[in-house]
Amino acid sequence: MIRYTAARGSTLGTPHDAHQMGPSGVMPTAEPTLLPPELMAQLQRLELVTRKIFRGRMKGERRSKRKGQSVEFADFRSYVPGDDLRFLDWNMYARLDRLFLKLFLEEEDLHFHALIDASHSMGFGSPTKLHYAKQLAAALGFVGLIRADRVKIETLGLRQPARRPALRGRRSTWRMLEWLAQIELGEAVPLTTGVRNFCWRNPGKGIVVLITDLMHKEGYEPALRYLLAQSMDVYVVHVLCAEELDPKIQGDLQLIDCEDQDVAEITVSGPLLKRYQEALAALIQGARDFCAVRGATYLLAHNQIPIQDLVSRYLRQRGLVR
Amino acid sequence: MLPSFVNMLAWWQWSLLALVPPAIVALYFLKLKRTPLEVPSTYLWRKSIEDLHVNRLWQRLRQNILLLLQLLVLLLAMTALVRPGWRGTTLLGTRSIFLVDHSASMSATDVRPSRLEEAKRRVGELIEQSASGSEAMIISFADTAQVVQEFTDNRRLLRQRLQTIQPTARGTALLGALQLAAGLANPGRTATEAGDQQVADPLPATLYLFSDGNFPAVPDFALGNLTPVFIAIGRPDADNVAITAFMIRPSEAGPQRLQAFGQLANHGRTDREVTVELLMNDVLIDADQLRIQADGSRGVVFDLGEVPSGSLRLQINSTDPLVLDDVAQAGINTPRRGRVLLVTPGNAAVQSALATRHARELAVVETAGPDVLSNKQYQQESAAGRYDLVIYDQCRPAEMPQANTLLIGRLPPRANWHGDRPAKAVSGPQVIDTDRDHPVMQLVDLDGILIGASATLDPPQGSTVLIDSNLGKLAAIGPRGAFQDLVLAFEIVHTTAAGAVFNTNWPLGQLSFPTFFLNVLTHLGGGQGPAWGASVRPGDPIQLRSDVPADTLQVVTPRGAVESVPRDRNGSFSFRRTEELGIYRVQQEGAVTGRFAVNLLDGVESDIRTRRAATVQIGYIDVTGQGDWEPARLETWRFLLLSALGVLLVEWYIYCRRVTM
Repeated sequence: MIRYTAARGSTLGTPHDAHQMGPSGVMPTAEPTLLPPELMAQLQRLELVTRKIFRGRMKGERRSKRKGQSVEFADFRSYVPGDDLRFLDWNMYARLDRLFLKLFLEEEDLHFHALIDASHSMGFGSPTKLHYAKQLAAALGFVGLIRADRVKIETLGLRQPARRPALRGRRSTWRMLEWLAQIELGEAVPLTTGVRNFCWRNPGKGIVVLITDLMHKEGYEPALRYLLAQSMDVYVVHVLCAEELDPKIQGDLQLIDCEDQDVAEITVSGPLLKRYQEALAALIQGARDFCAVRGATYLLAHNQIPIQDLVSRYLRQRGLVR
Repeated sequence: MLPSFVNMLAWWQWSLLALVPPAIVALYFLKLKRTPLEVPSTYLWRKSIEDLHVNRLWQRLRQNILLLLQLLVLLLAMTALVRPGWRGTTLLGTRSIFLVDHSASMSATDVRPSRLEEAKRRVGELIEQSASGSEAMIISFADTAQVVQEFTDNRRLLRQRLQTIQPTARGTALLGALQLAAGLANPGRTATEAGDQQVADPLPATLYLFSDGNFPAVPDFALGNLTPVFIAIGRPDADNVAITAFMIRPSEAGPQRLQAFGQLANHGRTDREVTVELLMNDVLIDADQLRIQADGSRGVVFDLGEVPSGSLRLQINSTDPLVLDDVAQAGINTPRRGRVLLVTPGNAAVQSALATRHARELAVVETAGPDVLSNKQYQQESAAGRYDLVIYDQCRPAEMPQANTLLIGRLPPRANWHGDRPAKAVSGPQVIDTDRDHPVMQLVDLDGILIGASATLDPPQGSTVLIDSNLGKLAAIGPRGAFQDLVLAFEIVHTTAAGAVFNTNWPLGQLSFPTFFLNVLTHLGGGQGPAWGASVRPGDPIQLRSDVPADTLQVVTPRGAVESVPRDRNGSFSFRRTEELGIYRVQQEGAVTGRFAVNLLDGVESDIRTRRAATVQIGYIDVTGQGDWEPARLETWRFLLLSALGVLLVEWYIYCRRVTM
């Protein structure tokens, strides 16, 4: 059997090339590949942005809807017995003879979730789409870590070992990378199921970046609906490789789906390739429209775009980082 | 004009070809062996295929258009194989006779590869396009005609037999071929040789004459129901320089010294300068440069001196289309003296005449008395051809020998020479005429000759009277098979018991007497001078002689083949297979005893300018040559094959478009 990538020659990577993690999990060479020092230097100037005021769990660097103990005044409210007397506004009491409590905006941390699709189809391309996804997750996670946000990177599959705790702080960078290095191909979980499980595990608010190729035959819409229902700030990064964007194949072929072994017999012809491009364009445009209508952000990522460009240009344009 | 077809394949080849279309269709129905390829997802591909399935009918047509085009290519190729064509105005009749000239001039290469091959090609084309059921016959002719193939409708056989016609170096005689063709086409005439069973079939036929027209008119011939068509082969402006004569003769300086005479003719419209070379045993011994005017001829003489035996070759360096006449050859034989037996009771005059120096060079003369005639050894030797000439003086044999004879004063013992009955005895005849043209009588002057008693002759038919007198014929020479008998009716010397008495004053002081005997020795004595072998035209028979009694001679042809020639009833050796040009060697018991040459030396054949515009007169009909005549059939197979190629290109284009777009 010929792999799709093999049709383009040996220069292109396969799921098991040098970019792929070994079965043991950690490959020391993976760390600089995922997050080179120069990229880290660029990323240090960035921070994650959310368009929604949200509740964090710990005090962080972000204003929260919650009123708490910060220096930023928010509002007054009437005193009820039991309130902390330290926050009474005595000046108001003197003027109006009524007890008012000063409320301050609580500064909280941001919950950042990167949800990686590690199905078999992500093993194509050079670099593989999975590797690209991990690079993107690493870059965004690093940005979150250095801004003291809660960073949590997960895959859709249930096969993961114990759920990883949320990471926080610059010191956790290496743990994050180590965790990313353990992610392997081969999760045969439908997108919807994976996203639903994720939502159950993470009921809170925050930013979720779903990194996938959307090549799921049951459709991406139910999965995105689950995410959107979380009232999270949803980003969908649609990763495609060159073989999918512009297939260079010819002849009479028996196409085998790498995930469900479905077989499609085709005779490559001009009209067929045209139809394919039309179907691909329809998929991309459909996902983009679906996201736009529902307040999510869609980004098509070609695996040949350097990751720093993707983060510092395309994601900045879409408001995920600044 | 109706389309016609010429089947190019045998039935089994058609059977094989008929299997190809089902094979192509079957290949299309077979499941394609597809290359498996793993892809991230078949999701988008499935959607694409489903979109295409919406236009299923159109898609199926697209799938099958390659099949249709391939079948179309095959159909065009198969149609080309039956050679469809449209006949023009020169329809073949149902019966055709092809006369193919294969004389020497048809070997000219002014049309490539040669005129004969061109003629065969055109005959082949006519055979190809003849309607099925029509019959054709092939006759080849040079100076004689022969049926190559009798009437048949088997085209393959006709084509095969056509290829057996080989070029010859012979001359051209159309009459024999016309007689042969007419005998086969006209009722009431006699065909020769093989075609007799066809004589009764009196159908008209078209007579196609493929020739360059180098033959004389045939005025005394009626074509009957033959319709002649003359197809001129060759170019009317073909120039040719030829050797038209080549002879070796003794020089005036002496009989041992030879001279070579050659004649060259320029059959062209421009003056030509040629180099003539004379080679002795392939070694150049002399050469000359000659300028020959257009349509003129020049002679050339080479003094050879004394030459050894071998072969002489005269050749010209010329780049004309006909090479057969650029070379002439002659054999030089070792001198041979004839053997002569003189049977006489005693005749000093004749003996003296045979004893001159020149006569001794020509012949060895043995003398015997009349009693030798009853000798058994003489009888055996004369019957075996030991002698070239036997002179019977005042006597005659009971049986004529296997030799030329000269009888003096007696008649031969044959009934047509009147046997023992002297026709009429005369006395004192006056010579009134001699045949000076005959070689025996050349330079023989009989003025003032007195003759006593004589007989008069009544020679048999075919004889030549040499001496005529007021009282009757005194000398005559007549044929006897391969030999000749010369009879002198009067005695030179009359021998009686008392002694010898002159019957004539001819030997006395007359130079003509030894001259006469020298002529006899030269002409009848069988001797060959220093000496040039005979030269014959290709195909002509030649009589060979043997010095010793032998039953067979061997003749080595120019190509080295050895032919055995048996002695015939007349005691001579007749050799007929003189087709090749060149020197033939005669061998006896391994030793070369003589040479003779076969040369073209034919001015008519060497004039190779085709008479295209002129007419060939056959009987009362002038047949105009059709030089540019070509079969008028419009062949369409080339167009069909080109169309098939075009369809193939379209098919390839569509295939590539489907694959790459």
